Amino acid sequence: MSDDVVLEVDSVVTRFGTQVVHDGVSFAVRRGEFVALIGGSGTGKSVLLREAIGLMRPTAGRIRLLGTDVWSASQDELARLRRRFGMMFQDGALFSSLTVAENVATPIREHTDTPEVLIPELVQLRISLAGLPPEAGAKMPSELSGGMRKRAAIARALALEPEMLFLDEPTSGLDPITARAFDKLLRSLCDDLGITVFVVTHDLDTLLTVVERLIVLARGKVIADGPVREIMKVDDPWVQSYFSVRTIVEGKNMADHGA
Amino acid sequence: MGTRWCRLDEAKGRRVLRLAGVWRLANLDEIRPALEHLDIPPAPVAIDGGELSEIDTAGALALLGFLAAQGADVSGVALERFDARHVRILELVRARLPELEPKPAAQDETFMAGIGRRVWSVFALLAGHVNFLGRTLAELGDALHHPSKLRLKEIAAQFEQVCLYAIPVVALVTFLIGVVVAYLLGMQAEKYGANIFVVDGVGIGMTREFSPIIVATIIAGRSGAAFTAQLGTMILTEEVDAIRTLGLSPMQVLVIPRLIAIMAALPLLVFVGDVMGIAGAMMVADQMLDVTPTTFLARLHEALPLKHVVIGLAKAPVFAAFIAVIGCRMGMSVSRDTRSIGINTTSTVVQSIVTVILLDAFFAVFFQELGF
Repeated sequence: MSDDVVLEVDSVVTRFGTQVVHDGVSFAVRRGEFVALIGGSGTGKSVLLREAIGLMRPTAGRIRLLGTDVWSASQDELARLRRRFGMMFQDGALFSSLTVAENVATPIREHTDTPEVLIPELVQLRISLAGLPPEAGAKMPSELSGGMRKRAAIARALALEPEMLFLDEPTSGLDPITARAFDKLLRSLCDDLGITVFVVTHDLDTLLTVVERLIVLARGKVIADGPVREIMKVDDPWVQSYFSVRTIVEGKNMADHGA
Repeated sequence: MGTRWCRLDEAKGRRVLRLAGVWRLANLDEIRPALEHLDIPPAPVAIDGGELSEIDTAGALALLGFLAAQGADVSGVALERFDARHVRILELVRARLPELEPKPAAQDETFMAGIGRRVWSVFALLAGHVNFLGRTLAELGDALHHPSKLRLKEIAAQFEQVCLYAIPVVALVTFLIGVVVAYLLGMQAEKYGANIFVVDGVGIGMTREFSPIIVATIIAGRSGAAFTAQLGTMILTEEVDAIRTLGLSPMQVLVIPRLIAIMAALPLLVFVGDVMGIAGAMMVADQMLDVTPTTFLARLHEALPLKHVVIGLAKAPVFAAFIAVIGCRMGMSVSRDTRSIGINTTSTVVQSIVTVILLDAFFAVFFQELGF
């Protein structure tokens, strides 16, 4: 196994009762990549994400994250591992009793011995990196709009300067303008900070503009894995209908221009 | 130790800050003191990263923030021999440095202002309750005027929750209270050979005061809290908005069924409490005071006028109405975050219990004046 593989999913099987969700899923993500996982509803994308970060145990198979075997690691190893990646949940999952700044400061205070004088500035830096205005720090999560809540969640996920960032549907529920700004933010985190980004998404615009590599999950397996433009050509009914939505819209636009 | 992270070199009058090691968040506790050891000002004109193995934004911030705080011109300082990746991170932080001034924390309110705000919020709360009570009564009047608007299925479902499932706990608690009261009264009465009068004490005490108060307290904790939590969650998940959008009234769909169910349930539960409390007392009287159940019941017929039982039962629906109004109002006024469900649920239980006791004190005086 090469050194720069940060996430390795090896023949993972997941069953809920008699229902088989994953039937031998395998792929690897290398350092610095921007990878998206797609698949129809019920193909277990979010389940796979939760298995990768140690929230849910797969029925069988192995997952190595940042050099640690997630499901055979000791509690200490897991605790150390958890400081090295960040996760953004779909609705932000901010702690509703804390302000945004306190939300971001929580992992820093819990996991590092950072001198107290540096924390406020560091928190402001995270808030600014996530694209929030400086005054957002003093707000409660309930006072934020959907887009701002997601940015605050990113700020918290970035708190410990993770090597890898997991995101569950980062642009869902956002208007297209905010969603594109969000894509740009993720891209710059990946480029400027060298963070590996692994995202579960349905947003075609995200896939076509910022994602380098696509992993397609269907029928319990990885049916395609590669650069977006190549995946579009894959001969699979689900992949074809997935991307055809896009071609229809673009085709219509072109027709409009022609007329 | 200072040289492990950084040192100042002065060659040909040019001050250069040389960095070394891993400048990551985890090491800030050592990096910060190392920086403070440096002889600054005068500020260095360049930073050298030739021996730097890693730096993250936290490390960059610690460095640049410290230099800026010492009055150095951070935007002008040259970055030499840095890895391209490290330069990107330093530039990223440097560009954002001006906007990182931590906002001064909001001024803490003074002690008096705090008292004033709390008193004011109590008045606002009470005004809100009166408002909600008014709306509830208007909707209730409307529902009674057009009985077809009553949701019988929902009322039955609520009744099952509030009444049926509460019977075991109500029975257990009131039985034990009956045991305790009879036991304590019995110890005193025995001294005077007045064992039989325990029946008078327990009969009147249980039916008129203990059973209504205790059952109302249990139901305030059980169903009042449940109402707030249920309605609060429905507000959060926008179910209440959905009800409104479908052209239905949340008051009719959610509040009125709960109000009717609990008002019907509480007198029944109080009656269960009466019976169980007296049963508990009867057991103690039989075992400890040599008063057989037959004697006990015979004495009960003489010593317990019906009016005490009726007063106890009559108080119950009033308690119930207040518990329902408080529980539903607090649920409907949940703001859009999860924390406020917890706050409002706690508040419901506290308010309901205080209200029940206050009402009971009022009833005690009221019935006394009426000559009951």
